[in-house]
Amino acid sequence: MSFGLWEDLKGVVAMVDAEKIASKQKQISISEFFEKNKHFLGFDTLQRAVITAVKEAVDNSLDACEEARILPTIKVEINKLKGDKLELICQDNGPGIPRDSVEHVFGKFLLGSRFHAIRQTRGQQGIGITGVVMYSQLTTGSKTHVISKIKSDSSAVHVDLGLDTRKNKATKSNEIRDVWFEDGEEVVNGLKIKTVMKAKYQRGRQSVHQYLRMTSIVNPHATIQLTVRDGDGEIIDHGHWIRTTEKLPRVVEEIKPHPHGIHLGQLQRMLKEADERKLTSFLRHNFSGVSMRAAKEILSRAELEESRTPVRIKANEAQALLDSFQEVKLLAPPTDCLSPIEEILIKKGLSKAIDSRFASTVTRKPTVSQGNPFQIEVGLVFGGDLAADGPIEVLRFANRVPLMYQQGGCLMTKALESVNWKQYGLDHPGGKGLPKGPAAVLIHLASTNVQFTSEAKEAVSDNVEVGEEIRRAMLEVGRGLKNHLKKSKQKKKAQEKFDLINIILPEISRKSSEMLGREEPDLSPVITRIMNAVFLEDEVSWDNDAKQNICSVTIYNYTARARAYTILAKWPEGEGVSMVENPRGGRKETNGLWAWRLDTLNPGESAEIRFTVEGLTKGDWNETDIFFRGNGDIIGANKIDEKLLDEMRKVEALAVAEAEHSRDKDIGSLERVLDRAEPMEPSPSVAVTTSGDNLNEDWFGMKDGGAE
Amino acid sequence: MSANGYTKEQVIEALHDIAGEMHNKMLKGDPPTMTLPVRTKQNISFDSKLGVYKYGKKRSTRDATSLGSARQLLRALHVTEFIEEMIEAGKSSTLREMYYISEGWGHGKFGSQNESNNLAEDLEIITKCMREDFKLRPEEDGARIIGNITFEERNRRGEWMRINCRDDVGDSGYGVPYNVELEKLRLVDHDVDFVMAIETGGMFDRLVENGFDESSRCALVHLKGQPARSTRRIIKRMNEEWNLPVLVFLDGDPWSYRIYASIAYGAIKTAHISEYLATPSAVYLGIRAGDIESYDLPADDLSSKDIQALNAELSDPRFADADWQEEIKLMLELGKKAEQQSLAKYGLDFVTDTYLPEKLAEILGR
Repeated sequence: MSFGLWEDLKGVVAMVDAEKIASKQKQISISEFFEKNKHFLGFDTLQRAVITAVKEAVDNSLDACEEARILPTIKVEINKLKGDKLELICQDNGPGIPRDSVEHVFGKFLLGSRFHAIRQTRGQQGIGITGVVMYSQLTTGSKTHVISKIKSDSSAVHVDLGLDTRKNKATKSNEIRDVWFEDGEEVVNGLKIKTVMKAKYQRGRQSVHQYLRMTSIVNPHATIQLTVRDGDGEIIDHGHWIRTTEKLPRVVEEIKPHPHGIHLGQLQRMLKEADERKLTSFLRHNFSGVSMRAAKEILSRAELEESRTPVRIKANEAQALLDSFQEVKLLAPPTDCLSPIEEILIKKGLSKAIDSRFASTVTRKPTVSQGNPFQIEVGLVFGGDLAADGPIEVLRFANRVPLMYQQGGCLMTKALESVNWKQYGLDHPGGKGLPKGPAAVLIHLASTNVQFTSEAKEAVSDNVEVGEEIRRAMLEVGRGLKNHLKKSKQKKKAQEKFDLINIILPEISRKSSEMLGREEPDLSPVITRIMNAVFLEDEVSWDNDAKQNICSVTIYNYTARARAYTILAKWPEGEGVSMVENPRGGRKETNGLWAWRLDTLNPGESAEIRFTVEGLTKGDWNETDIFFRGNGDIIGANKIDEKLLDEMRKVEALAVAEAEHSRDKDIGSLERVLDRAEPMEPSPSVAVTTSGDNLNEDWFGMKDGGAE
Repeated sequence: MSANGYTKEQVIEALHDIAGEMHNKMLKGDPPTMTLPVRTKQNISFDSKLGVYKYGKKRSTRDATSLGSARQLLRALHVTEFIEEMIEAGKSSTLREMYYISEGWGHGKFGSQNESNNLAEDLEIITKCMREDFKLRPEEDGARIIGNITFEERNRRGEWMRINCRDDVGDSGYGVPYNVELEKLRLVDHDVDFVMAIETGGMFDRLVENGFDESSRCALVHLKGQPARSTRRIIKRMNEEWNLPVLVFLDGDPWSYRIYASIAYGAIKTAHISEYLATPSAVYLGIRAGDIESYDLPADDLSSKDIQALNAELSDPRFADADWQEEIKLMLELGKKAEQQSLAKYGLDFVTDTYLPEKLAEILGR
């Protein structure tokens, strides 16, 4: 909870401004404003008030820790008191707030210094912690007790805060400086607030518990703890979500607003506050995506002279300026201001809160709608502890903040419902509403400007581009689910066959021989007759001692002929992720796809391909896809799509070519890039070693599978 | 000795032939198999020599190429082993006990009691032995009988006990044991004119309370729904050995037709032993479809399952004759079915004072 908070208040400030403009003469007090607007500030019901209070505190803690690059540990404590009152205690290990800033942070709806810069933060969605101080004071007359410790100070600040609502200012009392102990240990840095408010604690889908559970999913780097006690001190609800990654979200860049995403009021304010003397420099300095040429074109279309002073622009002229923004082609805003959670971390976050069998996640590329950069992420979990009857659980997030109300009216839900889930293996009666089944879907919208249906900020409003991005992300995770279900089915079928020949058949043989007093028959021809196929089993496991993933692929030839194949396995190749052991060698086929050649797999024989991977953590990689090249089918693997593979290779080759271009300008053809990117390695064989010449020729021509 | 006169050794040999078929196949390098008659209505036909319906020539082969079939083969071997052990030890077990014992058979374990019952029948069919030869018995007891007839039953101590089914029994009647073959039960004497088989316990008790067995000089047999083998067997023995007519008094619905067919012509599931169980001269007394109208009985609408069953019966060879086709079509046309006890609409005595005497006059001419 620190300076990052200053931006948090701008939403409210904008509203306050709007009110001010509406009633020019009358200066309304902030408390009056609060009273009037508490429904969209989140304090309209006793049940919701406590959720909102926790939300303000926790969001600020997470923002502050992120900015200070601290792994957050947050404790929330709620104690029921008499007469619909609750004591709320929130504590973090963040940077703390310097003594002089405490009253600013807690006591005022302030303008931030960086008001015009936009950035993806959690806090942009709430009223800020000031609302909590005010709500407590208004409903119970209580002051909010704050303890703040910054690392460089020797002691912590302990202070009671209230609000002078007429002066719109914080009041301090009982301020002391003292060492701060928690559980017998001195706190080095952190912030703790303790307050009493009129509120009701409730359980269920809209509860503090659910809010923190959801928060922990999209903040896998945070440890969050909740303890709720009734009037007798008995614990009636609790949760403990431990961080699953040490990786902090990346620091987001601030960007200037883009002309396509700006409103008249905002433009007028910017004009009024501008230091620039000329409109051209005003446009170029305060907006992103505006070049000198674009600025001139905008002004000529708006029929405004380039040398006009921004502060002197009248309302109708500002409108003309705004109109011409839309007519001129502009550069898109940069998208590095967004902080996606990223696929692997979504997986980890989901695994922290939900026990499931399968997770499919996707982080779409950032894109732009109406001048606002945004990015969609979706995660789907399936199976395990999830309830199989009833609609799936939808977990909605905007800039890592859970959305808990108005699910039906939210663009995210609508986009989810527009997908035909039946074709991806979920029950979707009539193709309408939420699909049913043991699944949960997470949707995260990261944006510098999340557009909500109302000031309550609980449902994202309709937007064609955002909706389409969500739908596409859904299709991607849907395909993942479909593959998984298909694979499980295949696996089950293969398992049945293995049981049949490995357990049941030998037992039939033993029992019948015993009963009749005859010799046991040789079963291998019988097995070949029963199976008459090549089977493949694959397994990805985790070696906790070595901190490595082990991928094992076994191919069984239960046909009457010798077989030869090239087996290809997908693996999560990437930065910091590498193969450690790979006794069969093989070669890289393309990024994330490795290939091994198996020559002469005789009838009744099996062969294992085994490799280990370093650089991942437990749960990152649980399932792989296996492909093959060669004649005849393999149960448990798919024939590689050569066209698709070619595409992948080309994309990769181009990337390599681009990277090498500066160093080596002598790159002739794509093939040569490919050669360099994929050095030939001696390919291992199962039984027979093939000569090197043969191998190279064979490798891309793929005439293998011969031996018949 | 058993119903078909097989010795212990012959029974075991017949079972071993099943294992032999499997073993021979494997020696040839083929998946093991088990061959048995197709057990559907498409494969039963009338045996004019025996006067009952028997399985035809269609055979199906169960081979170990799928998990399900392979399990069946393994189970057959486990069951064979189990039967051998029982024969050696002079014990017997219920089908339900065998189902629980199969818990220890690993992959040969039964998934449901139905599976174990079906397999026991499969083995009977293949070996032409009877379940009694395998020392397997159903867990439910047979029917109850009341009437002036006398049996001799051999008790656990091996002594023959003489029982009169009117004087030596209580209101619940004589309980028919699971084995009613000669070595266990003898038909000694009777003073009745016919045997009446009754579907429901309620109607059986009504007739007993009204003294119908004495007033009409008959033996009453409670079928308990779809009759157990021993019930059908004892009815057949009374019919053959005492030359008594058998009348069947059931509810008036498609399922009752099937009960009648299993008594008179043989059941599809047990067509391999129809000649031991079926009583071809048994007569269907009622409730007939026509009774619903002529007696104006309270009736329920046929459900979609009922209609399905009636349509299936139309193509069942056992119901091929014109009378049955007419009866079934009439019920379909009415769209109604009635219970035996719907006769109570006209009072508790209506069935014994009016309905049955009218029917008996029609059938037996008295």
